[in-house]
Amino acid sequence: MSQQFVVAPLLVALVTAIATLLTRRFGRVQVILSLLGGFGYLGAVAWLVSKVDPLGASNIFSYQLANWQAPFGITIVADSLSAFMLAFSAVIAFAALVFSASYVDSFGQQVSYHPLFHFMMVGVTGSFLTGDIFNLFVWFEVMLMSSYVLVVFYSGKEHTRAALQYVVLNLVGSAVMLLAIGGLYSTTGTLNMADLARRVANPAAYGDFAIAPVLGLSALLFAVFALKAGLAPFQFWVPSAYRAAPAPVSAMLAGVVKKVGIYAIIRVYFTVFGAAAISGLSLPGMSVPDGGSALLAFYGPILFVMASASIIVGGLGAVARDDIDGLLAYSSIGQVGFIVLPLAIAATAPTEEIRVLGVAAGLVYALNHGFAKGLLFLASGAVYDAVGSEEFPDLGGLTESAPWLSGGFFVGALALIGIPPLSGFFGKMLVFDAAGRASAAGIDGSNAALGVALVGAILTIAYFSRAWNRGFWGEPPLLVRNADAKFSLVAVVVALALAIALLGVGFDVVMQAANAGAEAALDRQGYIDAVLGAGESSGGGHA
Amino acid sequence: MTQFVLAGVLGLLFALGTFLVLRRDIVRVVWGVTIISQSANVYLVTMGGLSGGVPILSHGGHGGGHAVTDPLVQALVLTAIVIGFGTTAFALVLTYRVYEEHGTIDLLELGEKA
Repeated sequence: MSQQFVVAPLLVALVTAIATLLTRRFGRVQVILSLLGGFGYLGAVAWLVSKVDPLGASNIFSYQLANWQAPFGITIVADSLSAFMLAFSAVIAFAALVFSASYVDSFGQQVSYHPLFHFMMVGVTGSFLTGDIFNLFVWFEVMLMSSYVLVVFYSGKEHTRAALQYVVLNLVGSAVMLLAIGGLYSTTGTLNMADLARRVANPAAYGDFAIAPVLGLSALLFAVFALKAGLAPFQFWVPSAYRAAPAPVSAMLAGVVKKVGIYAIIRVYFTVFGAAAISGLSLPGMSVPDGGSALLAFYGPILFVMASASIIVGGLGAVARDDIDGLLAYSSIGQVGFIVLPLAIAATAPTEEIRVLGVAAGLVYALNHGFAKGLLFLASGAVYDAVGSEEFPDLGGLTESAPWLSGGFFVGALALIGIPPLSGFFGKMLVFDAAGRASAAGIDGSNAALGVALVGAILTIAYFSRAWNRGFWGEPPLLVRNADAKFSLVAVVVALALAIALLGVGFDVVMQAANAGAEAALDRQGYIDAVLGAGESSGGGHA
Repeated sequence: MTQFVLAGVLGLLFALGTFLVLRRDIVRVVWGVTIISQSANVYLVTMGGLSGGVPILSHGGHGGGHAVTDPLVQALVLTAIVIGFGTTAFALVLTYRVYEEHGTIDLLELGEKA
């Protein structure tokens, strides 16, 4: 039993949440505990990543809770994919936590902010690490429950309305997810993801269940994941919720919580259902090949249409917005499209090489979007804190009164646009690379993917230059001239900007980690062996 | 026979829940969501199979040799019900808060004020 590090991040977040709940009468102590907890979480994740070692051995560890063996007990799995997601989430979460320590007013912090924040991290961590599909539902609920309260945190008019929409939508989503999970259990007879992957690949060996219902049920599940990721046509809750939430929470929602939906799509469709062979499937306007990865090939066009719609809807919406938060929220819809686009290519790709490249491109883009959008939301919060408004008509000339803050925003915007030394350049380049290679391999629709990516890239430039021109350049109005940006807030923004530059300069490491993550996502047999054990061995977890 | 009755009831419950979710009154919407998630729970119970023996009583040979109903789905439903309680309570409190802030729980009026 030497695999406790798999649950370490989960435990650290949970203990911190409870500790901050207990010490809420002692404001100072609570904040210090919360920050320490955030730092400890960072450490626990680093420990896990160093053991999984995505740059080298790329191990897969599984931890069987209470030593109940895999298909029956609850399994927690850490592989390169979870490690990748956890690593960047932990950094963004820590930055958001430091930011909120001076951004959220002391009453708000005392009431519930810190426990909720950490409970949200518990949910996020659990979703990344769970190896059981029903547990995925439970962790989603833990994460959502805290995010509901954080969205309605200021509880003004706008906030209650946004939260109502967010809550009702997610509750319906949860019911749908439950239906899909129940159906999958009844069809395949298991909830463990590794066991599910094994059975779906070879139904004849496990009671010869019908494979066709799995496709329909996985589609129901897909709708829920797309809702969490804010993919069009499930994007309509995004703008109001992101605008209502406090800035560091928006940074978390866009940077981390959304990525849980993306992670679930990668894990469940590429690792678990990827091997399902469905024969005789035909839909109007869509041909699905028999055998091998037929189920993935079915999702390819769907992912492509949703990604393209997100890129266009998000880009156009962002161009039309008149406030920073609204612009960032719409931009986040578009950027999620950019994350999913290479996944669509990976789903339809004929060769393993393009498949790995596609998933890796999605992962790199997710990391870049997490950092850049986190930074931008925090910068927008700092602007609001300094000026008292984030509507473009009230702003302008921030470069003079808050040069460091403006610089941070500029770096974030450049990262999303994709300017060379920053991490965003590589993300965009990989998306285009994947689409280009798919096009060279003669896959239908890959030229369309190239076109959509190009339009999306142009829209990104359009809305960020508009934001920059109207918000940061020009003659400052009186409100802005008197603005005094708080040092601690600006420091976090600048630190994140440096991190983005650093990620771009040392991109080799990121690329290696993303490649390891993509390979782990596609290495079905490795995942199954690690969770269920290659033989009938007993005892603790398996390496 | 039980299966058909249950299937019919489930369908009716889902229809009722959907109908309520589409109402203008927020309280009804919350009711609708609650009914939908409860019917998802009932559906989940049926996934374990209905015709088996009782798992505990039939333990040790009292089951008369036939297969037992799957107890796992019932454990799942327990979890789902607990989560459902929490979210319903939150949704109701939120409804009250919306009423306090906007002075109405009519979704159409709420939308017009935006």
